[in-house]
Amino acid sequence: MVDLALKTLLHDRLRFAITVAGVAFAVLLVFVQVGLFLGLLDNATVTIKHIDAELWVTSRNTPNVDFAHVFPESRVDRVRSIPGVARADNLIAWFFTYQLPSGAQEGSILYALKDFKSWNLPWDVMEGNLEDLRRGPYLFLDGSATKRMGPFAVGEYRELNGRRVQIIGRTRGALSFTTTPITFMDYDLAQSIQSQSLRGQTTYILVKLAPGADLETVRAEIRRRLPYNDVFTRDEWASRSRNYWVVSTGLGLNMGLTVFLGCLVGVVVVAQTLYTSTMEHLKEFGTVKAIGGGNLDIYRILAKQASAAALVGFVFGALGAVLLRPAMAGVDLKLIVPPVLGAAVFVGTFALCLGAAMISFRKVAAIDPALVFRT
Amino acid sequence: MAVLEADQVTKTFDEGREAVPVLKGVSLQLEPGEIVTLEGPSGSGKTTLLSILGAILTPTGGRVVVNGHEIVASRANDLAAIRRQAIGFVFQQFNLFPALSALENVEYALNIKGMNGGGARREAEAALDAVGLAERKHFLPRDLSGGQKQRVAVARALAGRPPILLADEPTANLDSQVGLQILEMFRDLAKRDARALLIVTHDPKVRGIADRVLRIRDGLLLNGNE
Repeated sequence: MVDLALKTLLHDRLRFAITVAGVAFAVLLVFVQVGLFLGLLDNATVTIKHIDAELWVTSRNTPNVDFAHVFPESRVDRVRSIPGVARADNLIAWFFTYQLPSGAQEGSILYALKDFKSWNLPWDVMEGNLEDLRRGPYLFLDGSATKRMGPFAVGEYRELNGRRVQIIGRTRGALSFTTTPITFMDYDLAQSIQSQSLRGQTTYILVKLAPGADLETVRAEIRRRLPYNDVFTRDEWASRSRNYWVVSTGLGLNMGLTVFLGCLVGVVVVAQTLYTSTMEHLKEFGTVKAIGGGNLDIYRILAKQASAAALVGFVFGALGAVLLRPAMAGVDLKLIVPPVLGAAVFVGTFALCLGAAMISFRKVAAIDPALVFRT
Repeated sequence: MAVLEADQVTKTFDEGREAVPVLKGVSLQLEPGEIVTLEGPSGSGKTTLLSILGAILTPTGGRVVVNGHEIVASRANDLAAIRRQAIGFVFQQFNLFPALSALENVEYALNIKGMNGGGARREAEAALDAVGLAERKHFLPRDLSGGQKQRVAVARALAGRPPILLADEPTANLDSQVGLQILEMFRDLAKRDARALLIVTHDPKVRGIADRVLRIRDGLLLNGNE
């Protein structure tokens, strides 16, 4: 069967290229915007995801994992005594400032525990031995700190609140929503460096359940014993931390608007080029009708052209996103495109292109085949 | 038995508040294998009559029967089906699809008529062979001369073996010698398969190939048809 739709589309290659570019731009914009946002949200919960705790005890109304508030560290003993709790430890997550050798200051989020290995924190160690953190004024620093603090090496010293601390290890992928690098340090050392705020205080209690223990039963008991704290499951806490960034900061709205504008640009480009093409080929559509074709035949032609633009545009847009990933990673930005996002953008691209073709459908439905007799 | 029949056909167009009668009661019949020309000055109603006989327009009044199908008050879908089954058109401007080769132009018309695959390809090749364009079947319209384009248009009209062929000023864009050659070829092919051919024209030379000449003026066929 002769493919009039594709042959006509490819006959004017420049127009087709413009259409494809419009679709590809929209697809790329959506992938990059949503992918980056998902990457940042992944950062926002990266510690929650990796720390091996089933329940998190937080101070009341803590909005997200990075913005912790303190409460007395002795409350951990009340948690440890609850039946069904296999292990409970204090965790400090606190914002510290480094005094850099250059004289500049740079922030870092500090995670402090007494036993890192038991909680799978940090989860990706590049250099150093975690056991050594207990042995003195030492810290592990995430590699992403290079961007903000400049190059560093294991064995070097950095100043924290007037205290010299030696870097004895390097981690990977430990950074916050705002790409602030994470520092890992012994719990007691953290309290002594930031004694004014942290002496006798903690920010979280991590809870691991005993085999067979009922999570809700344990949680209810923790709530009963710690009425001035909140208790979240890992998923709830991750969701709360993500929602803070999505809802409270307006970033979700910003991303939604950008995605909407990207789609709008794609629709307008496709609609405009298809409509112009339709207007220029009216006589050909009239000929299709004159030789016995119906509106359905012409709708098929337009739908096929829109689908072709959608498919090729999607491929180029997706390819662009794939090529951008390493560049993004170079500046510590993750571009996360889960299969469901890929599928949604694929379906959405076709839907939008076919929607754009609807404007042309209306025009061709009204074509009078008698126009073939006009010169 | 007539393959195309019009009985007291009228057509009125609304132009603003004014009704303009273009056809005022036209009756004619075409028999299989008959070659008829329709002549008349501009604005006489030739093209409107051709559109009605070709199931493109419906008449305001009267009765039109195309290959046994009455098209009075037909719906658009019915008209398209009649065009597909019974009519082959040749247009003044050739109206070939510029993105399709000569062969594909003919084959696409067959696809529209419901014929696909190798059968359609073979019939399209045969039609192009019949009009002497087998050598140029893969050429795009832009690479063909005016006469060659019109030959492709004739091949397209013949494809699918419609019993009625309608041509609108088929020689208007061709030099007279080429135009005459194409008309003679068209006539021979139509006669060979006993198809009725109606040619609307301004060109008096065209009547030389006709069995019968009709003249129309002010929406009425004149008496004294030759």
